[in-house]
Amino acid sequence: MGKLVFVFITLIISGLQPLAALPAGDSEKYARSRENMVQNQLSKRGIADKKVLTVMKEIPRHLFVPGGLSFRAYADSPLPIGEGQTISQPYIVALMTELLELTGSERVLEIGTGSGYQAAVLSKMAEEVISIEIKEKLCSKAGRLLDSLGYANVETRCGDGYFGWNKGAPYDAIMITAAVDHIPPPLLAQLKDGGRLVLPLGNPFSYQNLVLVTKKGDDYTVWQISGVLFVPMTGHALQAAGKKP
Amino acid sequence: MILPAVFLVSLSSLAFEVLLARIFSISQWNHLSFMVISIALFGFAASGTLLSILDSRKKNWKKRFAEGKATSVLVLLYSCSTLISFIILSRLPLDYFRLSLESIQAFYLFISYTLLAIPFFFAGFIVLAAYVQQPQNTGLIYFASMAGSALGTILPALLLPFIGEGKLVVIVAIIPLCYLSAAAIIKSKKNIGPRFPARNWFFPLTSLCTMLLAAVLLLTPWGNAQVAVTPSPYKSLSQLVQFPHSTVSSSVSSISGRIETVNSPYIRYAPGLSLKYSGSLPVQKSIFRDGDEQLVLYGAGGNPKAFGFALFTLPVAGYDIVTKPQNALLILRGGGTSIPAALAAGVPELSVIHESPSIARAIGEHYSLHTTSENPRIFLRHSQKKYDIIHLENWGTSLPGSAALSQEYLFTVQAFDKYLDHLSEKGVIIISRKLLLPPSDSLRLFSTALQALQERGKKNPQHHLILLRNWGIFTLIVSKNPIENREIPINFAEKLNFDIVYIRNMQASLANRFNIFKLPHHYLAVEQLIRHYSEKRDKQFFEDYLLDAAPQDDHRPFPGRFIKWDRLGDLYQSMGSRPYSMLLSGEVVVAVVFLEALAVAALLLLLPRLLAKGRKKKVPLAQKLYFFSIGAGFMFVEIYFIKAYILIFSSPVVSFTLVLAGILLSSGIGGWCSQKMGRNAVLYSLTALCPILLGIVIFMDLLVDYLLGLPALLRYLFALLILLPPGILMGVPFALGMRSLLTTPLQRAYAWAMNGCASVLTSIAAAGLALHSGIPPIMLCAAAFYLLAAVCSKSAASGKE
Repeated sequence: MGKLVFVFITLIISGLQPLAALPAGDSEKYARSRENMVQNQLSKRGIADKKVLTVMKEIPRHLFVPGGLSFRAYADSPLPIGEGQTISQPYIVALMTELLELTGSERVLEIGTGSGYQAAVLSKMAEEVISIEIKEKLCSKAGRLLDSLGYANVETRCGDGYFGWNKGAPYDAIMITAAVDHIPPPLLAQLKDGGRLVLPLGNPFSYQNLVLVTKKGDDYTVWQISGVLFVPMTGHALQAAGKKP
Repeated sequence: MILPAVFLVSLSSLAFEVLLARIFSISQWNHLSFMVISIALFGFAASGTLLSILDSRKKNWKKRFAEGKATSVLVLLYSCSTLISFIILSRLPLDYFRLSLESIQAFYLFISYTLLAIPFFFAGFIVLAAYVQQPQNTGLIYFASMAGSALGTILPALLLPFIGEGKLVVIVAIIPLCYLSAAAIIKSKKNIGPRFPARNWFFPLTSLCTMLLAAVLLLTPWGNAQVAVTPSPYKSLSQLVQFPHSTVSSSVSSISGRIETVNSPYIRYAPGLSLKYSGSLPVQKSIFRDGDEQLVLYGAGGNPKAFGFALFTLPVAGYDIVTKPQNALLILRGGGTSIPAALAAGVPELSVIHESPSIARAIGEHYSLHTTSENPRIFLRHSQKKYDIIHLENWGTSLPGSAALSQEYLFTVQAFDKYLDHLSEKGVIIISRKLLLPPSDSLRLFSTALQALQERGKKNPQHHLILLRNWGIFTLIVSKNPIENREIPINFAEKLNFDIVYIRNMQASLANRFNIFKLPHHYLAVEQLIRHYSEKRDKQFFEDYLLDAAPQDDHRPFPGRFIKWDRLGDLYQSMGSRPYSMLLSGEVVVAVVFLEALAVAALLLLLPRLLAKGRKKKVPLAQKLYFFSIGAGFMFVEIYFIKAYILIFSSPVVSFTLVLAGILLSSGIGGWCSQKMGRNAVLYSLTALCPILLGIVIFMDLLVDYLLGLPALLRYLFALLILLPPGILMGVPFALGMRSLLTTPLQRAYAWAMNGCASVLTSIAAAGLALHSGIPPIMLCAAAFYLLAAVCSKSAASGKE
């Protein structure tokens, strides 16, 4: 009988083990979806940074999307999160994070917290993340969620991201996830020499490409990162495909 | 007594349709409103389908409809359904962007279609019931319907400045209830004995309830909130007002759009600002049209000291090229950076044009500048002045692809020709737009300028052009004479870290220095274009290119349209195989809606056969074809004139309103006249129509050019007069056909359904045709359909297959 009880308890504990490894609100089903997402949407498209892949495999994205859409959380698309806001397509999140080339010791500034998913990803990649959101509703909701999930190195601030946060400057990396028509000069000023700033271009439902700004002294270089967002079919690429011109 | 009902319901339903288009333009985008409204208009045809089915299933239906009560019930149902549909629709959590994500959204879309179709269904039912009840009076019924519709088209234009969109829908919905009151009074006077027996209270009571609901919606804060029209949360205005201390300080509605001014400390608009700029931006306030197309006013009270930032923006390259520009014409449609740029560049004389009178006034007051509210093409037609700078600012909407259906005469070859006419010898045109991948807009504008210069006999047109870019926008500079001093723009670009896409004798190394693409896509595309141009193989280039980036002319003025259907697969792949980028395009929406419409039309036309009981009566094919053809012909003519007159009437909405009112009223008169005509007049009117329509399409360019030269009032008057001959003739075939070609209620009901389906299908097809082949082919289709109707008319009269 004692053996039976032991076997029973062992079985229960072993059965619970995978659940215990997952954060609250997570499940095996979602873990599998994440695995698929990383494999099919990220690795196959060229996301090579192992840490980015590992982090994206860990973070429960479905907790950052509205309840009604959680079943689509790991789909290869952006999702609306209410009030005209979106959570970016997983590939965009991965690509933007990879572009920052984080090693784990950086201080990162994020402009536009949104649902907080991108900040959660950054928190696993950098030492400190300061995320600023101007819309108070979103700011407090994301702050609460990130706290409850234990992302202790993320500081969410409700305020105007245009001016960054001077007290925390300079930053090794800045990520702008809000729509902008120009890169705010105060953010460029708060970027460390040798630092990297990344922002997406176009409509949140169909980003065209990403913009990466690198700073060397007073000089900036802007790199347009098309990735698979735009596969060129013009010019040389078209000729290579055997089509004219 | 049915004629007033027909008149009032036609008035109300047309006004409702116009208001819906307005409301969807605010709450969504134009091309999405096109989707819902087009399908909803099938409600008219559905009434014909239902009566066709009733004909086989209820023997005494005609008798029941002959009683006045049926009309009263239908009028009441129309008003109630319009009100209720509108309220539910305002509350429906339909989100187009979630359509591919949540199945519930497809259900919401279906509910929208159905809800909106219901009022049109009842409206159609009332008019059709009139035709069935009084076949001898089809001319008068047609006149009542068309005159009501014409008035309904104008009503929103007259009332919107005083009453908001939502409240006006409520008022429009209850207008037909006047009929019920009048009917009740007349009936009560005729009645002997107790005036209101118990069951006669139904109508006064129900209409009273409807009136009460309307009063609550119009007069109480709760009611106002139910009918308030708010922009889509994805629109720029909605995004901005979510910021703290950001409020809409004024809101003015008109048929051309809702203009809202937003004060916010968080507006920082500076497209094309160099990364070299380290200062701050001046205080700004924004003006939105329909919640989008943001226009920004800089500096408190337009203080020019605050405009130094503008010298760091990309378009200023054009001001640098012209040494000490003395005057500039700024053509604005959104944006607003061109004004501080011109002021900071020290241009002493500025003229600003904006089509919206209220925005033009706001700009004038803010900067103390001379502003004109006019269509720029008309302004240039009347002006002899030469400018050193013509600066066009039009950034488009916040949703890429949504402008594909927009008819725009600012960027056609003819427009460039007019700009060049108005440049001084050292003058330049400056145009800045968003930088897109694959290169599309920039390539199209470059080739348009190239063609305009070539047509003016310039030997090396490319020597007149410069194309610059940063990471998000491009600026095209077109000069009247070849650009001699290449160093100025090259130095400007280097100093402010901009890249050059094209300049004469350009080194490839300048193309990808500061804003680096893996490949310099824009440079490569333009380089190939110029090579093809110089080898006179430009057509080949445009045929082979992934997108349709060929220059647009006044016959096909859709500069936001790029899709090539035979390269759709390639485009999909090039955009990273993501469906969103495709679904947001207006061209794709038109195609999807046409397929939906085909399915709905097939269903409506087949249902009477499928659900008929007993011995199936057949409607002769010739009659079906005849009524389909005149429905299609009528709609093609309407849409042709709406599109062709946009240049004359300055805006698509004004053109829509005036053309519709003109054609509906004149065809109503035609219908009235047909009351005394014999059957032969069908053939005569159709035969006369074809050459008139062909003549109009042949001479339209000359007519438009002549009209543009006239003062506004005469221009409008003559434009309306041109509508009269075809309008009157177009009124005859339907009204007379209903009376003289058809003999049974079933035939009339089915003819109505055919005519309604043709109208909806044609309106969508015409939009697609204009995008694909230009505006003139629309009129050729109209003539072809009227010819087909003429051919069918003889067989239709004999009732033979």
